[in-house]
Amino acid sequence: MIEMIQVNHQFAIGKKGKERVVPVLHNIDLHVKQGEIVAIIGRSGSGKSTLLNLMSGYIRPTSGTIRLAGQVVTGLSEGDWANFRLAHLGFMFQSFQLIPSMTAFENAELPLVLKGVSADKRKKRTMELLEQVGIADYAGHYPGELSGGQQQRVSVARSLMLNPPIVLADEPTGSLDSDNERQLLALIQHLNQDRGTTFVLITHDDQVASIANRTISLKDGHLLNAYGKGGTTTYETH
Amino acid sequence: MKLTDQFRFVRQNMKKNKTRLFMTVLATAMGCSFLIVLASVGFGLQKSIVDKVVGDRMVTAIDIYGIESSNEVDRQIGPKNMEYLRSIDHVKAVTYRNYVQQPLIASVEGTEIASNGAINVDFDAETKAGFGLSSGRLPQKGNEVVVGYNIRQSGDNNNPGTEPPAAKDWLGQTMNVEIHQFADDGTEMKKTIPVTIVGIAQKLSREWKTDTKVYIGNEMLSEIENFTGTLWGAIRILPDKANPEGYEPPGLQEPRQYNEVQVIADGANRVKAIAEEIRLQGYISHSIADELEQVNLVFLIMKIGLGFVGTIAVLIASIGIFNTMTMAVTERAQDIGIMKAIGAHPSAIRRIFLLESSMIGLLGAIIGTVVAYLISIVVNFGLPLIIEGFMDEKVPADFRFSWIPPYLALIACLISLGVALLSGSRPAKRATRIDVLRALRRDL
Repeated sequence: MIEMIQVNHQFAIGKKGKERVVPVLHNIDLHVKQGEIVAIIGRSGSGKSTLLNLMSGYIRPTSGTIRLAGQVVTGLSEGDWANFRLAHLGFMFQSFQLIPSMTAFENAELPLVLKGVSADKRKKRTMELLEQVGIADYAGHYPGELSGGQQQRVSVARSLMLNPPIVLADEPTGSLDSDNERQLLALIQHLNQDRGTTFVLITHDDQVASIANRTISLKDGHLLNAYGKGGTTTYETH
Repeated sequence: MKLTDQFRFVRQNMKKNKTRLFMTVLATAMGCSFLIVLASVGFGLQKSIVDKVVGDRMVTAIDIYGIESSNEVDRQIGPKNMEYLRSIDHVKAVTYRNYVQQPLIASVEGTEIASNGAINVDFDAETKAGFGLSSGRLPQKGNEVVVGYNIRQSGDNNNPGTEPPAAKDWLGQTMNVEIHQFADDGTEMKKTIPVTIVGIAQKLSREWKTDTKVYIGNEMLSEIENFTGTLWGAIRILPDKANPEGYEPPGLQEPRQYNEVQVIADGANRVKAIAEEIRLQGYISHSIADELEQVNLVFLIMKIGLGFVGTIAVLIASIGIFNTMTMAVTERAQDIGIMKAIGAHPSAIRRIFLLESSMIGLLGAIIGTVVAYLISIVVNFGLPLIIEGFMDEKVPADFRFSWIPPYLALIACLISLGVALLSGSRPAKRATRIDVLRALRRDL
């Protein structure tokens, strides 16, 4: 479902003409199967978020190839990336990333709006998902009026709105208390088993990593190893 | 993304900062209004000066002097030429004025009038052409006539101090017209034809010119010609010692020749084409439209100049739109980033911002147009009062300082809309280039 072949990434920082190149990811080879939950762990600055951002198309790799849902995405234009995201990817963010001037309902239905779905169908589908994540009663509330857990549920509803085959989650439980964390992880497991949705989760949290079929460790931009549920498997070593 | 949803986004965005929106729309409205009002002065003056002062008929008339020919007879306009002139497309009427070729002796209530002749006109054609009457109507029967405005101005009261009695008091009066002819034996024959005065011709625009003519129709001309046995009622001059040959005017069987022929077009814009066609056929002609072209050119340049100044005002307003849209993009950078992050197409984002700036332009244009119409009404009503009050000058009735033709309002709206779109295009493009990661990190 997700395939990264010899992916390298480096940032250029500093003023123009005096830029300094900082390598972030080195020769990443990664394969995630359909229906897998993969957790990516690693210290701060290890390159976890960069890896996820490359999968999201927010940044482009310096070299290497990325294939998502059978399609090579490394050369896509910005417009094509937008269409690809809408069709194949769902996103969960640590800080929820809800639009403050929109109600929970409006935030959740955004992917349907972008897709051009009619208002009637949107309403039905959005309320259905808000109910599923247990936030339907707060549909008319603005994000500022909701707790962190409630906001994350809206964000989850939004990410699942178009039934994406892949969900990319950057520290999805980072801003949640333990109760909300447990509920979210249960929901992820349920979706994974029920619909076969592939999840890539970035986390520091062992509890999050525990629901993963595989845990991949990153250190200084190198993919170290993968721990399967059946034990530790050496994935790649440098 | 559906257009209705794009409009919903725009509405939501516009509600966020109503004061800023109001000020931007106000600036656009002022610019648009300024553009329309300035250009409307050019349109108003042109309409008043060209259309009103010069007069409709003068603009649409083409004078025909004759046909180019080496033969003098062929130069005259005959019935066939009249037929041809009437057959040209967009010719409303062909008029002529021929003097009855004998002194007019006429009296009303026993008082002889000092007329300078009777003129035969085609009243059917004159009705279409717009014969200028100061009062009364055009004849409908053979024994009805129109008289000149100064018909009652005799030699006695023809001095600047005294006003002659008004001709319109003679409306409905019977006028006895006396005609003469000499028989072969030299005896003078007379006939009196009673006619009714039904109309008074318009006062001539030049004060020193007087119109004391009697305008007769074709039926009366026939009556005169049947009596005299000559075309246009011409009097025979019998041979005598001083003039042994005498003069025998053309008889009724001879072809007619028409004088003061005018071709009237059905619109000022047709005059040029008709004049061209007539000239190609060898007619010698002239129309005031030839001169008006120059006047119209001056007004066109004036309108373009005023419109240009007005457009500058709209361009200044566009700076406001640009500023507002740039602020809007900056303020909404995170929202745009989130939308992009979940799959918003850059073109959809650009469309939302272009829609917003065009909404501002459209609102401004509509308000500006309404205000411009109000200003135009106030100026047309108020300025004559001010001029009359302070400058002691009388403004002609119907004079319009400002006139807004619908297409001027439309052009101004289109300019405002175009300028708004242009001002919004750069911020809209900027919105599509917002970096998703920086927006998500709130680093913008």
